[in-house]
Amino acid sequence: MAEEKFVPKKKTYVEDIERTLYDIKDEDHSVYKTQSGLTEDIIRDISKRKNDPQWMLDFRLKSLAVYNSLALPTWGPDISELNMDDIVTYVQPDAKMTGNWQDVPADIKNTFDRLGIPEAEQKQSLAGVGAQYDSEVVYHSIQDDLVKQGVIYTDMETAIREHEDVVKEYFMTLVPPKDHKFAALHGAVWSGGSFVYVPEGVHVEIPLQSYFRLNAAGAGQFEHTLIIVEKNASLHFIEGCSAPKYNVTNLHAGCVELFVKEGARLRYSTIENWSRNMMNLNTKRALVEKDGIIEWVSGSFGSHVSCLYPCSILHGENARCEFTGVTFASKGQNLDTGASVIHAAPHTSANINTRTISKAGGMATYRSAVKVTRRAPFAKCSVNCESLMLDNASRSDTLPVMDIEGDEADIGHEAKIGRISDEAIFYLTSRGIDEDEARAMIVRGFVEPIAKELPLEYAVEMNNLVNIELEGTMG
Amino acid sequence: MAELKTFSRIPMRTWRWLGVNESRIPADINEHVKTQKILVEAGKEDEVVLTQREGGQYELQVHIEEGAKLHLVNAQLVPDDALYTCRVKVFVGKGATFAYTVVEAGARHTATELHVDLVGDDSKADVWGLYFGDGESVIDLNYVIRQGGRRTDANMQVRGALLGKSEKIFRGTLDFLEGSKGSVGREDEEVVLLSPNVRNRSVPIMLSHEDDVDGHHAVSVGKMDEDKLFYLMSRGLDLAEAQRLVVEASFNPVLDRIPDAELKAEIDTYLQRRLSNG
Repeated sequence: MAEEKFVPKKKTYVEDIERTLYDIKDEDHSVYKTQSGLTEDIIRDISKRKNDPQWMLDFRLKSLAVYNSLALPTWGPDISELNMDDIVTYVQPDAKMTGNWQDVPADIKNTFDRLGIPEAEQKQSLAGVGAQYDSEVVYHSIQDDLVKQGVIYTDMETAIREHEDVVKEYFMTLVPPKDHKFAALHGAVWSGGSFVYVPEGVHVEIPLQSYFRLNAAGAGQFEHTLIIVEKNASLHFIEGCSAPKYNVTNLHAGCVELFVKEGARLRYSTIENWSRNMMNLNTKRALVEKDGIIEWVSGSFGSHVSCLYPCSILHGENARCEFTGVTFASKGQNLDTGASVIHAAPHTSANINTRTISKAGGMATYRSAVKVTRRAPFAKCSVNCESLMLDNASRSDTLPVMDIEGDEADIGHEAKIGRISDEAIFYLTSRGIDEDEARAMIVRGFVEPIAKELPLEYAVEMNNLVNIELEGTMG
Repeated sequence: MAELKTFSRIPMRTWRWLGVNESRIPADINEHVKTQKILVEAGKEDEVVLTQREGGQYELQVHIEEGAKLHLVNAQLVPDDALYTCRVKVFVGKGATFAYTVVEAGARHTATELHVDLVGDDSKADVWGLYFGDGESVIDLNYVIRQGGRRTDANMQVRGALLGKSEKIFRGTLDFLEGSKGSVGREDEEVVLLSPNVRNRSVPIMLSHEDDVDGHHAVSVGKMDEDKLFYLMSRGLDLAEAQRLVVEASFNPVLDRIPDAELKAEIDTYLQRRLSNG
């Protein structure tokens, strides 16, 4: 039989492009930096500078001991190029925390202006804004009517001073330092982040947003976000993050702890656009009580390496989780993202819906865990993950695990992997759309289920990020 | 608890707390491995039916040459108290087809690894598996199909039922290697849970280093469809009979592939009896 000639199919080629807006570096005007590395002296130094209460210093030192006792994970992306001896764990910017935008130093203000942070606040599309620059929060504000209703939105340092009992009760109880090595690291060196408390029955109608910017080269950012939404209250919290690119490794090991009480609802949206030299080893977890709802909307576009799997513990009867995520891995990126859900009470339900795209040698992994314990009869979970590969220099893997105990669960999982179909391109080009635009339209359509979950401004930002990633596409 | 040793590993590791990265077997298992080689020469067709009735360790080395076809039936009906491992390594040449029908029904502890290499262009794997756990049995399966050739076709269909205090892990991997252009892969697992004391772990993995592929996987885990049971019971069947009928229906696509009518009837009776006991 004659060898059949193999005709390669036409494919999209995507160049990596400069991410100008996010890559503008400020001069490093920090007033203080710890030495690089991780030692007890450095931890004591950070704690002293932050005026920690004694219990927090003790907590940091215990976390350091846990960090030193734990090995690196044996799964996931290669993080061997991360050398903690080279990382500066605390960088104090030349700015004091303020509630007045005009008081923020000019270069820091310009950075956040470029990113559109105060603009969104002025347009009343945000009810409160927090901005962190390197290791400290430099600006925080909240609308007066929310303050009158008892809503607290402030930086973590202020929260420890003014609401110490509440912070002490919740801080790193959901993500204990022994959880994994980078949770322990976070416990030792955390700085900055936001604290939100929504009292019983209060509905925060307009979102709050915290934005995290890491400007210093070779530094780490370890912000802690602690949100408590009391009974029958609701909140939408948005988190954004970016950094300019350097030739040295930066590290982000933040921690997010969300407490969703009975009948409460919390939507937690993230658009992550760290620079391509960032190791993003972040931990996010929510504890959801009876009839509570956690909704995650997660867009991962940046970082050199990401390990991000928001976890929802459905602890009360009828607790619910909705997870919607998109990950776009390009040249030089290894983005390992997904979600985990633990059903720990009867009639709990979860819906996980993700899209991943990989191009130009990028590696995208969808990783998930669905655990149904014996305490969770009648649990329901539906998982849907779709992966799109734009070329064969890239990798796309899916690794879901379902662990079901008992016989009253109803669990479904579905995944697809593939490329943009020639039929779809042919259809669109036959309608007069050029091929590049046709491919871009298909990619935008592919991430549409996620875009539609975001507030308009952020959906536009996500579409812009998709467009940036696809710019330079050639047939 | 008895000491364990690693028998098989998942192609890509994940969180350790899920306990699925390695398949482990009792360390004191008899080291002797009964090995059998099967060669199907180019252009030939063959059908091999194996029935394992004794515990122990087995290995099958299968080589299917260009354009050849093999249907391998491997029925494991070892005694309830036995340990059983089986490693099946399959090389599938250009234009060749490997059809596999496997039944894992006996043993106290079953660990099997299936590793199929679709090396040749236009090669095909059609894998249909059935597992049944009851009592305190442990079923630990790791199936991997690596698609290396162009236009390869992989189909992995697995059906299972768990009763008593049985535990099962099924890892099914479709691995599209670079260069596997035009390949398709489909993996489905359907598990019926019939006791509040069972534990089911499903790990459907799809790895891709090639964009011009079409891969799907789906898993469905849960109790028996109540509408089906209701229908059958409204026709006069009691609950146990209705459950048996529904499980049997889900197993039939696998059992129907067994060419030996006597063996098929034996497996059918064996499963019916164990379902009744459960």
